[in-house]
Amino acid sequence: MNKLLITEITRMGPAFCVIGLQHENDRIQSIRPVPSFSNGWQHFPHRRGDILECALTPFPGAKPHVEDRVSTRGFKKLSAVTEAETVAYLRKSELARSMPDLFGCPIHENKKGSGLHAYPQEARRSICGCETQNLRLEICANELRATLALPSGEVLRDLPVVDRDWRDFVEAALAETRGANRTARLERFLNSHFHHKIMSCPHHFIRLGLTRPFHDLCWLMLDTLFPLPNPEWLQEF
Amino acid sequence: MTRSRNASPEQRNSLRRPVEECFRREAGPSIPIPGDDADLIESGIFDSMAWVSFLRTVESASGAGDLGSSLNDRSATLAAVFSALQDAGSSASEGSSHLPRQTRHGISSPAIITGSSSALASRLIPSEEVDRAFGMPLGKLRSRAGIESLAYAADGENEVTLGTRAAQEAMNAASCGAPQLDWIIATSETHHDYPSLSAQLHSRLLLREDCAALDVGGACLGLLNALAVAQSLIASGRARTVAVVTADVHSRTLTPDRVDGEFGGLFGDGASAFLLRRASDDIGDAYRLGDFIFGCAGQYAATIQVGARKEGGLNVKFDGEALSRAAITRMEKVLAAVELRSGIALASVGAFATHQPNPRLVTLLAKQCGVSPGKFPPIAQTSGNLGSSTCGAALHQALQIAAKLPPAAHQPIFLASLGPGLLFGGGWLTPRNGSGRA
Repeated sequence: MNKLLITEITRMGPAFCVIGLQHENDRIQSIRPVPSFSNGWQHFPHRRGDILECALTPFPGAKPHVEDRVSTRGFKKLSAVTEAETVAYLRKSELARSMPDLFGCPIHENKKGSGLHAYPQEARRSICGCETQNLRLEICANELRATLALPSGEVLRDLPVVDRDWRDFVEAALAETRGANRTARLERFLNSHFHHKIMSCPHHFIRLGLTRPFHDLCWLMLDTLFPLPNPEWLQEF
Repeated sequence: MTRSRNASPEQRNSLRRPVEECFRREAGPSIPIPGDDADLIESGIFDSMAWVSFLRTVESASGAGDLGSSLNDRSATLAAVFSALQDAGSSASEGSSHLPRQTRHGISSPAIITGSSSALASRLIPSEEVDRAFGMPLGKLRSRAGIESLAYAADGENEVTLGTRAAQEAMNAASCGAPQLDWIIATSETHHDYPSLSAQLHSRLLLREDCAALDVGGACLGLLNALAVAQSLIASGRARTVAVVTADVHSRTLTPDRVDGEFGGLFGDGASAFLLRRASDDIGDAYRLGDFIFGCAGQYAATIQVGARKEGGLNVKFDGEALSRAAITRMEKVLAAVELRSGIALASVGAFATHQPNPRLVTLLAKQCGVSPGKFPPIAQTSGNLGSSTCGAALHQALQIAAKLPPAAHQPIFLASLGPGLLFGGGWLTPRNGSGRA
C-alpha cells in the first residue's frame, strides 16, 4: 500500500487529474495516480492536504508523464495536513527557479499565438513547483489565464489555470445569483485584493504542469496555486 | 461588462480579412472559415487554449490589446470578435482609455523619412583577426556566424563622431539645415556618458537652443523606439522635423579581457541617422512610416543579461543557443504580426531592415519566413552586429537601393528588431508614390 499526500487536483475537460507526494527513501516525489482505463478521474471526492492510502502500480507511462501510476483499488483517507504543511512538503519535492529547469528541457513559445510548450521527447517530467516573483490572473474571453514571473525573472504568459479550486471559485464568482456586472467585479478583485492575498501569503507557491502530448506538443499549465481561494472572499466583491 | 453593439456589415468586412487570416493561422489552412455565429469551441474547431491563442493573434494584428477582456460574457464566435473590435475602434475614436493601444496614429501617420545615412567605423578588420584576439579558433566567426569582417572604430572615432557624421549626411540628403530641426532623438547601447549622446550631438550639429534633445533606450531595439517617438511627436503636432540617430561603439566595451569571443566577437561599430518630417505635398518621393508593434517577451529574459561589475568590467550572461532560438522565433512572429497589421504580404516587401545578430541567423530567418535572404541588406556580414545601428544601417541601405529605382517600382520595407528583455518591435514603411499598399 502507498501513502499519498494530495497536492494537485486539476480540471482536464470533464475529468480530474490528481497528483500527490510520496515519500520514497529520502526523497519526496510527485506521483500521479490514474485509473486503469483513462488518464483522469470522473469523480474525486478528496481535497488537497488529504493523506490517502492507495495501491499504485508503476507502468511505463509515455514521456514526459513519468509520474503516472495505475491505481488498482480505491482511495482511503487516513488523515489530512494544513495548506501550509502541504506547501512545505511541495517545497521539498520537484523545484525549479528558471524555465529550462522546470521540466529539464527547453520551453518554446507558440509561433502562431499564445502559450508555451515543451517537446514530449525532451521533457524529463511533467510537474514542477516554483516560487514566483509576481503573478496575475485574468479572465480572457471567459477563460482563466495566469501570467507569472519566475525567480529567474523569466515571464510565462497566458497559462491556462486548471486548478480545480480556483476554477470553482471563478465559477462561483460568475454565478447568476451574484447579480449584475459579475465579470467586471471579478476582474476588479483579481486586479486588486487578489494580489495582496496571494503574494503576501507565506505559503504562496505554484506548481506548473505539462499537458499530455497534443499534436506532438505538451503545453504548460498552472496546475496549482497556493493559497487556495477562500469562499469568503466572494463576499468582498 | 457586456457590450451589445453589433458590427455593421461594412465594418465587419473591413475587419474580416485580418481576422480570417488569424483564424487560418491558428486553425490551419484546411479548416474552412466558419459562419460568423458558429461557436468555435462548442463546434470543436478550437479548444479553449486555441481560442485564447487565436484572440491573442487578433489582438496583435489589430492593436486591440484588451480584446480578451472585452470578450468576457460573449460566445466564442467570429461575430463576437468583430463586435469587440468594433467597440475598441469606437472607443479609440472617442478618446477613451479603452482603445487599441498601438493604432491611434496608425497607418494615417504623416511622418515620412526624407533623408538617411549610415556611418560605419573606418577600420575594417578580418574576422580571423578578431578570432585571434579573443582566443578562438581561426575561422570560427566566419564559419559559425557568417561574419567576414568587422567595422571597428579608429582612434578619434566614437559614438559622437560617428553619430554626427551620419546625422549630418542625413540632413544633407534631406536638404535640411540645422535650424529646421525641432527634436533630435539619439539611441545607443554603448554610450553611457554625460552629457548624453543626444546632448553631445545637439552641440556638434549646432542645433537651435530650443531644439529638444532626447535619449531613448532599448539596446538593439533602440532605432525602432526612437522612430516611434519621432512619429508620435510629429503626429501630435509637437514637431515638424526630427532627426533620429543611432551610434554604437562596441569594440571598446566588449573587449577580450571582459567578455568571451562567442559574444564580444560578434559586434562592430557604426551609426545611422534619419530625417523625419511631417508629410506635405511639396515633398516628393519618400517613405512613410506605418504603424509600430512593440512588446516584451519576458520568457527570454535570462538569455542575455549584461551588467556592470563593482570592480569594473562587465558581467555578461549569454546563452547563445537559447538566444538564437528565441531571436528567430520572435522575429518571425514580429514579421508575421507586421504582415497582418499592415495588410502587406511578406512576398510584396522590397526589403527587410531587421536586427542582424549574425548573418547565419538572418539566413535562417529568411528561410523561416519564406522570403529571399537577398532582401535583407547584409550589414552584419561585413561590419558585425552594430547594436541599435544594425537596423539603421540596413534601413539606410534599403532606402538607397529603392532610390535608384523608378518610384513605381518602390516596395514596402519591413522593420523588426529585438533587445535584451526580450524586447521586440516591428513596423513598416510604404513608398508614397510606389506600389506599396498604404
